Amino acid sequence: MTDATTVATTQNVGGARSLLYHVILCAVSLVMLYPLLWMLASSFKPDDEIFGNASLWPDAFTLDAYVRGWSGLTVSFGTFFWNSLVISVLSVIGNVFSCSLAAYAFARLKFPLKNFWFALMLGTLMLPYHVTLIPQYVLFLNLDWVNTFLPLVVPKFLAADAFFIFLLYQFFRGIPRELDEAAIIDGAGPWRIFWSVMLPLSVPALATAAIFTFIWTWDDFFGPLIYLNDASQYTVQLGLRTFVDSTGKSDWSALFAMSVVALIPVLLFFAVFQRLLIEGIATTGLKG
Amino acid sequence: MTTTAQIPLTITEPEKRSKRRGGLSRTLVSYSFLLPWLIGFLGLTLGPTLASLYLSFTNFDLLQDPQFIGTANYQRIITNDVKFWHSMQVTFTYVILAVPLKLAFALGLAMVLNRGIAGLPLYRALFYLPSLLGASVAIAVLWRQLFAKDGLANVALGLFGIQGPSWISDPNYSLYTLVLLSVWQFGSPMIIFLAGLRQIPPDVYEAANIDGANKVQQFLKITLPLLTPVVFFNGIVQTIDAFKAFTPAFIISEGTGGPIDSTLFYTLYLYQEGFAYFRMGYASALAWILLIIIACFTAFSFLTSRYWVHYND
Repeated sequence: MTDATTVATTQNVGGARSLLYHVILCAVSLVMLYPLLWMLASSFKPDDEIFGNASLWPDAFTLDAYVRGWSGLTVSFGTFFWNSLVISVLSVIGNVFSCSLAAYAFARLKFPLKNFWFALMLGTLMLPYHVTLIPQYVLFLNLDWVNTFLPLVVPKFLAADAFFIFLLYQFFRGIPRELDEAAIIDGAGPWRIFWSVMLPLSVPALATAAIFTFIWTWDDFFGPLIYLNDASQYTVQLGLRTFVDSTGKSDWSALFAMSVVALIPVLLFFAVFQRLLIEGIATTGLKG
Repeated sequence: MTTTAQIPLTITEPEKRSKRRGGLSRTLVSYSFLLPWLIGFLGLTLGPTLASLYLSFTNFDLLQDPQFIGTANYQRIITNDVKFWHSMQVTFTYVILAVPLKLAFALGLAMVLNRGIAGLPLYRALFYLPSLLGASVAIAVLWRQLFAKDGLANVALGLFGIQGPSWISDPNYSLYTLVLLSVWQFGSPMIIFLAGLRQIPPDVYEAANIDGANKVQQFLKITLPLLTPVVFFNGIVQTIDAFKAFTPAFIISEGTGGPIDSTLFYTLYLYQEGFAYFRMGYASALAWILLIIIACFTAFSFLTSRYWVHYND
């Protein structure tokens, strides 16, 4: 990803045209980001100032909405936040662990039925989750896992997100085989090679998988909706939805404040790993 | 990313030794890597898929054991379920409007960004941000407020003297606000288009310039044909995604698919049947119809792709 090609084309573009493009892009950026900024601004405004007022600057700046929203339900948002964090962190660990194991086996090891399993793994990429949804629910219900975090976390330890296997598989394939072979000469077995050669060289791919797992798990609404019934188990997304239904109609600013809170971890990841995320999309076709 | 250096190494000795030590232990070691996935695949994917197929031929309601009722679920869905056809219509309208619009925006802005604009990384990041936030409840909440009767959208229209409708609660408009939400999230296909555009060698355009081809001709004869593999990929990913859309419709309509079912996405209907009315056999049949639609769409795309997708090899 060098900018060599774009630099070459720059010379063809005149200054006036370049200015025109900047005007277009700035206008589009503004229209796109305005809703987000408006939400952020509204969370600092008193309720009566939100509607009919498109300005981003609050006349009276107040943190009241955050205080009201945080403890606006019987369970505080702190609990939802903690639940989301536990589920997301465990999901990251599970996904990176189990997907990299499977990806290594498919990329580097020889074993009977390998092509058969690999084809099935690719097949699962296409399968809409609605098909497995109900039997999975019945399974977890019979295991007495409903209303615990287990249905949301355990599948991650069993490499249920085949997409990440595929992503890591592609990356592992790009690592020179000579490195494995050198390790074999030194007497290393597959586990040693996996741990000491493949994983250290795959940090960018593992980080991509980890970050996307975190963000998607954090944002997941459907899974918690189905498996978590008790408010003390709710994730941020479920908490926010409850907030919409119960108080949201009157207390707009508190609703916006909690929406901002729900977005904070994702925004933080975006701010820090923006480049990595974008390259992850460009090279693997991950959807955001 | 990493390029494989072609250094021929012949280290057959250790390999031979390990082979002699027995293929079985080697197989066991290999399968130990595969084990978590294998358990997950059999227990969470293959098993449930087969179970779902069976349940779709039963009247399973979670409380009593499923009874086999043949194709009754499918018959009722096709011949006697107004909501099914309605949710199909809603979903297809959404897919047909949202996907092409989103891809057009994505391609248009990718082409502008590809002009060697200064500040490219900043624009790219700004345009991508809504895509990343897209699936969350907070964004659906924002959208609901944005298109409320006195929301920001109508304030903006008011500046031009237009009195906007109450978008969310008017069944004539509610679906289109969801289409707009999807288009707003054009960032990730845009980044993939951008990567694709960079693969097109600049000298092709230079040659076309010398031959006197104008911008429109260059777009139609060079950019678009060379980009068809990326269009194909983005089209499939976005369409499958659009078929599965759920969270925004659920939040904006408070789980009902309303007003008067105008946002009753197929997935929302499936959720209601399965988890609100516990008609799980029926919901399984709905899930299989979704699978068949997605499979048909994918197969159709791949079959027709040979006529319009140009691979450069």
